[in-house]
Amino acid sequence: MKVKLWGTRGSVPSPGPETIRYGGNTSCVGVTLSDGSLLALDAGTGIRSLGLALPDEPTRLHILLTHLHLDHIQGLVFFAPCFRPQTEIVIWGPASPEASLRDRISRYISAPLSPIEVRELPCDVSFRSTPQSDWEIGPARIRAASVSHRGPTLGYRIDDGEDSLAYIPDHEPALGADLETMEEEWISGFELARDASLLIHDGQYADAEYPEHLGWGHSSLSHALSFARRTGAGRTVLFHHDPLHSDEQLDRIEADARELCRARGGNPDTVQLAVEGAELDVRTPSLV
Amino acid sequence: METETVTQKPLELILARNLMSALSTPAFLVDEGGILVFYNEAAGMLLGKSWEELGTVGPQEWGALFGPFDERGDPIPYDELPLVRAVRDDRPAHAKFEIHSADGTRHQIEASAFPIQTAHGSRGAIAVFWPAATNGAGA
Repeated sequence: MKVKLWGTRGSVPSPGPETIRYGGNTSCVGVTLSDGSLLALDAGTGIRSLGLALPDEPTRLHILLTHLHLDHIQGLVFFAPCFRPQTEIVIWGPASPEASLRDRISRYISAPLSPIEVRELPCDVSFRSTPQSDWEIGPARIRAASVSHRGPTLGYRIDDGEDSLAYIPDHEPALGADLETMEEEWISGFELARDASLLIHDGQYADAEYPEHLGWGHSSLSHALSFARRTGAGRTVLFHHDPLHSDEQLDRIEADARELCRARGGNPDTVQLAVEGAELDVRTPSLV
Repeated sequence: METETVTQKPLELILARNLMSALSTPAFLVDEGGILVFYNEAAGMLLGKSWEELGTVGPQEWGALFGPFDERGDPIPYDELPLVRAVRDDRPAHAKFEIHSADGTRHQIEASAFPIQTAHGSRGAIAVFWPAATNGAGA
């Protein structure tokens, strides 16, 4: 299983000279399974580039949405395969008692916010709420579970052979909880990330920034690393960068992350910040 | 080293526990099977035993430790506790009864419980305890 980071930013796209290395596109991760089939995790603005990289041929794609905040769906109407009649797209997302997944996404893909309606998309698109139990896509076993964020939000775990990827881009597991001492069954998202080969996790705030953002649904650096350590993740990629963080600030946060990991007795080479365009092998996830 | 695998609690219970931990009102949490899975520090002070000391207990053990008891001093069946009724009936429940703390002190209390419902059904219930009103308004 391989992943490519098409969008690493949180909250809002933040293009510009200050963010050129870590990237300004919002959340999207492409996952290539062992049989060559493709999943997209979230559909932030990064999915536009993913779509442009795909060959124009009949195909079936699965898009797994963690939630419906705009930074995770904004790229949908700019995803080239949506405009190819020979493409089948299955969009998965959180269930809600309020409205179907299709209806909730249609609030964005409709006037006046969008020039096109869902029913007008040329592709064959369907919408499915994630089941409570695991399900299979190709050779992969998929698990979705609710995690602590603002509004109904999922994290995903993808197991493909010996490889396992946990994707929890928007997550505040430390809200009201001490991650160092809390029993593991009481930690949000724990089962998704337990012993994962690769954990892609929210790391939006530097520790000094977190107190002013308590309850906003995101993690501080320390909390993200505590979660990674408690769950036993093999390697951790900190994701969903704050739009106010420049490349230089993110360099410092990565240095802090490595130092914190070392200070806690871990291997600093197992933690890194997400870089737009980076490709990782899930089993031995060194940056390519 | 062998590690024991435990079942992840539903997010709604996790968030409920985190909230309850920050409250100074005695509060109790049961899972969808009606099993007590947490009570907060204020409840621990009332009972004379902290959650960390007690841990998860079943209905029989709970009854032997703390009661509750009705106005005649007879044990109230676990199934009739507001928390359990809230889970079972998917409706709020309220009751007035007596509990005994670990040192034998008796407390007249009222408990209000409400179910935790999600898109996937009931996940459990929360109950908060109050000193019983002296005018006998309990149900």
